[in-house]
Amino acid sequence: MATPEDELSAVQWSRLREDIAVVTWSSFLVACIATMLFFAFIDPIVLADALNHPGWLPNRMGSYALGFFLFWLIAASAAALTAYMLDTSREHFSTPQGNNRE
Amino acid sequence: MSSVVEHVASDALYVAQQKVYPREVTGRFRRLRTIAATSLLGIFYGMAWLQWQGHQVVLFDLPARKFYIFGLTFLPQDFFFLTWLLILAALSLFFVTALAGRLWCGYACPQTVWTDAFVWLERITEGKRAQRMKLDKAPWSVNKAWRKTAKQILWISLALYTGFTFVGYFTPIRLLLAEIIHVDTGPWETFWVLFYGAATYGNAGYLREQVCKYMCPYARFQSAMFDKHTLIITYDADRGEPRGSRGRGLGYKAEGLGDCIDCTLCVQACPTGIDIRKGLQYECIACAACIDACDSVMDKMKYQRGLVRYSTQAAVEGNAPHVLRPRTLIYGLILGALFVGFVYAITHRDLVQTDVLRDRNALYRELDDGRIENVYAVRVINKDDRPHDFRFSVEQLPNAQVESDPVLVHVAAATVASVALRVSAAPLANGGGHDIRIIATASDAPQLRAVSKARFFSLAVDAEHTRGSDDFGDFHEQRRH
Repeated sequence: MATPEDELSAVQWSRLREDIAVVTWSSFLVACIATMLFFAFIDPIVLADALNHPGWLPNRMGSYALGFFLFWLIAASAAALTAYMLDTSREHFSTPQGNNRE
Repeated sequence: MSSVVEHVASDALYVAQQKVYPREVTGRFRRLRTIAATSLLGIFYGMAWLQWQGHQVVLFDLPARKFYIFGLTFLPQDFFFLTWLLILAALSLFFVTALAGRLWCGYACPQTVWTDAFVWLERITEGKRAQRMKLDKAPWSVNKAWRKTAKQILWISLALYTGFTFVGYFTPIRLLLAEIIHVDTGPWETFWVLFYGAATYGNAGYLREQVCKYMCPYARFQSAMFDKHTLIITYDADRGEPRGSRGRGLGYKAEGLGDCIDCTLCVQACPTGIDIRKGLQYECIACAACIDACDSVMDKMKYQRGLVRYSTQAAVEGNAPHVLRPRTLIYGLILGALFVGFVYAITHRDLVQTDVLRDRNALYRELDDGRIENVYAVRVINKDDRPHDFRFSVEQLPNAQVESDPVLVHVAAATVASVALRVSAAPLANGGGHDIRIIATASDAPQLRAVSKARFFSLAVDAEHTRGSDDFGDFHEQRRH
């Protein structure tokens, strides 16, 4: 039963939607920092020299982008796993009375 | 005043919506927010076009790995300053939060600023809150289609222009504009313009304050900086309760009612969809829309303003406010020290830097005249905004001769040059490695110099030396004599 007060408050996001948003956003922030740190010390051109210019390695701008998305992917994987495990642990370990984590 | 109540009652039918339709408000805080948003957007869109000394005032030239910021040039070697700057920014945020709560969220956060811009575009195409709610519920019509299309065109244009400006801080914006006009942008430039444009469109057009509620880390930890004297937006429950609607001309106090007429305008105005009358909630981004909304009602009711107002927990409890307290003092002191240090470090930073690497192929070489020669690869980093010619010298090595080819090494403004440096000296009293200092000095400005430490390997004076040495093994062999 919706009370008048519920009607006034904004609709809550579903857990899945919140998980996806948080995972995407937090990993994006971390990927930005990681990219900045990594490329401050490593010049993609020097890296390409060291690897004997593999065909898959793009130019400087391309390497920055590649690096950024790689970092984002790694960070998002970790964040997604964390979110998944926290969510599922809540279901598995809740007592019959309800949720023991909250 | 009854018109207020009636208007609200008709609106209340639309309140139970899947999405937040914040009611537009006018008032002093709305004006302040508009001024803040306009200036910040103006800085963002305008600064990209400012030129100084032949290049963009602020340009993070990623392809060339050089950062130009207000006449200073930074190379990746200066990454330290960027880190320092980020720490300064974070600490300023803590300081402001401890003092004045979520001022950042309400007035300066890009999420808020662009949301404001997008909401404004929505208003000029789709109309005010009630009109938008009606429009969304109505079946498709020519009017609805054209209003929605107009909104999308404006949104997409602003988003793309934002993406373009953003990329313009990483690629010279005038060049980028020319490339776009000739449909000749690089693949990555195109990609980032679209990427940033799409992010702006999604975040400011659709996600809006949901970003603050669900995704923003600062929103979650800002309460750690709060205390009883932090400026917050608060509802004066003592004054307002018990709330309720009232008839015209009746003495409401005689009826036992408080000042809150329960018009719910503060809730309708809230972009995060909370009810400030329930107390401070973490969703509140302190945009003060509820203050403006409530003040307008108080004015109409001829009640005193400030039923919802900026205050502190201490003030609400009737205690004196304290601006100076350990928390603000400590944040302020650290912030001040870091800031002074930063300014000092920036103004006193070395404009010239050298990296010295020993030649890996030969430890040393014996010259025909019996002198011992070591070879170094020297990288000269010139961060000045002018080119310089550098001369090399050596300290802590008696009678050293230094040769470079050419003698004066030209390094253009904000670039790095490499040069092979041959240092020779007579065999030293004791052989092996010696610490020396290699100095690069600008020929036109002797104060521009960089000193690097290096190792110089030599034979001992009395060592038997019949042949030159080309590798490390030979060196050890000779050391044994």
